[in-house]
Amino acid sequence: MATDFWASSHYKRWNIDRATVKLARSQDLQYVDDPEYLDFLSIFFANLIGKLGKKLGLRQRVIATAIVFFRRFYVKNSYCETDPFVVIAACCYVAAKAEESPIHIKNVVTEARLIFSSEEIGVKTFPSDNHKLAEMEFYLVADLDCDLVVFHPYRTLMSLCGKEGQITIREAEAGEMGTGIDDGPRYWGTGEGKLELQEGAVQLAWFIINDTYRSDLCLLYPPHLIAIAALYLTVVLHATTHNQLHGPPSSQGSQSQTHSSKIAPRRSSRPTNSSLKRHTQQDIVTFLAGLNVNMSLIATIAQEIISMYTLWERYKEDPSDTSARNTFSASQFPSTSNTLPSAPVSGRAGMMRSGSVFSGGTATSSAGTPSTGEDLSGSQHRLGQLPQLVKPAVMTPLFLTQVLLRMREAKMVDMGMVVGGMRPMAYDKRLERAQAAG
Amino acid sequence: MLSAESSNMFMQDPMRFYRAKRDSARRRVGDKYTILGFISSGTYGRVYQARSKEEDGQIHAIKKFKPDKEGDVVTYTGISQSAIREIALNREISHENVVALKEVLLEDKSIYMVFEYAEHDFLQVIHHHSQTLRSNISTSVLKSLTYQLLNGLLYLHNAHIIHRDLKPANILITHQGVVKIGDLGLARLTQEPLQPLFAGDKVVVTIWYRAPELLLGAKHYNKAVDIWAVGCVVAELASLRPIFKGEEAKLDSKKNVPFQKDQLLKIFEVLGTPNEHDWEGLKNMPEYQNMKRMDTYNTQLHKWCMSRQSLATAQGFDFLNQLFKYDPDQRLSAKEALQHQWFQETPKPTANAFHGLPQHQIPPNRRITQDDAPSMMPLPAVAATSQLQTTAASQLQAAQAQAQLSGKGSAGSFGSVGGAGHTRKKARLG
Repeated sequence: MATDFWASSHYKRWNIDRATVKLARSQDLQYVDDPEYLDFLSIFFANLIGKLGKKLGLRQRVIATAIVFFRRFYVKNSYCETDPFVVIAACCYVAAKAEESPIHIKNVVTEARLIFSSEEIGVKTFPSDNHKLAEMEFYLVADLDCDLVVFHPYRTLMSLCGKEGQITIREAEAGEMGTGIDDGPRYWGTGEGKLELQEGAVQLAWFIINDTYRSDLCLLYPPHLIAIAALYLTVVLHATTHNQLHGPPSSQGSQSQTHSSKIAPRRSSRPTNSSLKRHTQQDIVTFLAGLNVNMSLIATIAQEIISMYTLWERYKEDPSDTSARNTFSASQFPSTSNTLPSAPVSGRAGMMRSGSVFSGGTATSSAGTPSTGEDLSGSQHRLGQLPQLVKPAVMTPLFLTQVLLRMREAKMVDMGMVVGGMRPMAYDKRLERAQAAG
Repeated sequence: MLSAESSNMFMQDPMRFYRAKRDSARRRVGDKYTILGFISSGTYGRVYQARSKEEDGQIHAIKKFKPDKEGDVVTYTGISQSAIREIALNREISHENVVALKEVLLEDKSIYMVFEYAEHDFLQVIHHHSQTLRSNISTSVLKSLTYQLLNGLLYLHNAHIIHRDLKPANILITHQGVVKIGDLGLARLTQEPLQPLFAGDKVVVTIWYRAPELLLGAKHYNKAVDIWAVGCVVAELASLRPIFKGEEAKLDSKKNVPFQKDQLLKIFEVLGTPNEHDWEGLKNMPEYQNMKRMDTYNTQLHKWCMSRQSLATAQGFDFLNQLFKYDPDQRLSAKEALQHQWFQETPKPTANAFHGLPQHQIPPNRRITQDDAPSMMPLPAVAATSQLQTTAASQLQAAQAQAQLSGKGSAGSFGSVGGAGHTRKKARLG
């Protein structure tokens, strides 16, 4: 049944384990200078899909579906053997159709060319021919095994704390949940009751879910668990909701202390439970416990979300993103906010659609490393001659594009495409790294 | 470093190796199936009968979507929304009374959907009784067909799928007398749609089976449109002709949907003109004023039922009457319909709809034509040059023109153009 997750293609064929995900990158690992780049590429590509999707007027759920398609495609393929930019465009194009909000192929080509060839990304090779994209669509659908119905955490979030169809996520994604003609039953747990959260908190959870697509979480875990993990993080992070758990707001110092203890690795659920005893209106802990899901799994997912944010800290793109990571960087990691000067970029704060609930959403990443951009652009010109790209402190799209290009070239060299090249024919970065490490 | 030349080539087409890899691994239709003949065609493409080359040698129906053409050259221009829908939904569902998708093959710019094979369909049964036997469909068969149809529909509705194109040609029956709902090309998931349903497809459901709320221009509709179509199908099984056989008003040049006066008239003549008392939402219908200008009629449904053998009981009339409620909210759901007392009356429905029938009463096997089939199938696995593809494409056009002229070649199933003189109209937009 199309609404029964447990009978869906999503659950039966595309909920895959970590080993499979890892295996999927094994060829890329051979050709990448630093394995970490692959994680940044993962963020970079998801952001690009989001960007292209927004430009095409796609809803968040369509964008999410496109990203899932993209990740599923790369479970079977390697970055270095394909052109991720064409794949990105095809994913948006197919996702729009799969989610019943089709867009014209010409628009996809036009917008994709515009975005990809921008100075920020610097990919000028995107084909202007519609047929090329349509051809990619064909291969994409085949590689997806024609499984085009994707489940997302948004629905769980809304069925847990929304008012089904009447929820007002005012600024950002109003109407996202559709017109609510038909409400499906919750496909797990008791299906009873709603979590009463403030609107700002629901919105924060929504944004956290958006952000999870920057990692492989959507391949690894069922969407309802991701939603609950996002809710769990929201309860911890959202200031007013958090205060609600603790009764009257405590002093600033003890606040940040509880934050850090709660978010510390491998201790996520225990200390939380003990500290959440006091509550005012609804017992959120009891509610979450009553969901009858594996809470240690939820803790694991929450950890992974936090790891993703940590990584993302070191990635810099344009300042207009509406993610929840600002909440993380500003209020969540005491180490970050202490060491880095808290220098709010006014433009960024102004453009945040998340409103006042995010206390002091600052761009810590850019503030911390102001000069890397220049360093990087300098290094790119010398790219051809360098044995390795100089790893910048902060990743940028332009740098990652270069990483990708080099992987592709290395792969080509390996395939014997170039006779008499300067590199040895066998080109295995893993070997190189092992040697370097002694 | 790479030479500028090869680097350039790779830059131009970074997907070259990927495609080569996929193309060589691809299982081809011709490698897996022997095409036995042509079944039917429609706007979407054509359907063939094929035997699997696996040891079981099962028979399948292969639906080939029409490849996109620019002139004579077959190119990629994007998979149609209808194909995406049909593929996406079929991959998720599995029910005895819904045609099962075995696999999808993508080859030479065409999409092939391999379905389980069904020997008969409702339209064929109707024709067999009206043309050959010249007798009614027995109450037992009619009831069994209806029950199984509703059972499949209940599954789809529970899965939040509205079929939106139920009609006799789309409802298949296997050799074993099991009903299979087919053709999900117009079907939609209704759970949390990002756009209202009407935004995607301006016109849904073949005109004779289209529910009054759609004819009156409703912007929101639901599963009840399928139930209306079931009512029409049941009535057609009982009387061997469409109950509301209206003329479709065509879309104007701006693709505005016209007022379907004739179709509504045909409905009112049997069911009477609806009023606000029966249907509270009536006055909010966009075409309400147009409707008001029509003559008024009283219901004749009871009389209609009493003159049809299989529905001529109190329960039979009540059943059809409940399927034909004007107010979509008052119309029976698939579940309620299955629980209707009519199914408790003897004769009761049977798992094999043809149970106990003498052989001659079972409609003949699907007609399979040979002539134009070979040219339509992909060339043998040897590399097909573009020259050959071009030839195939022009043959395709010729073959289709021929099929349309001959008309009767199709048994009408899989949502095809109709057989035996009917013109089955289906408008697809968007």
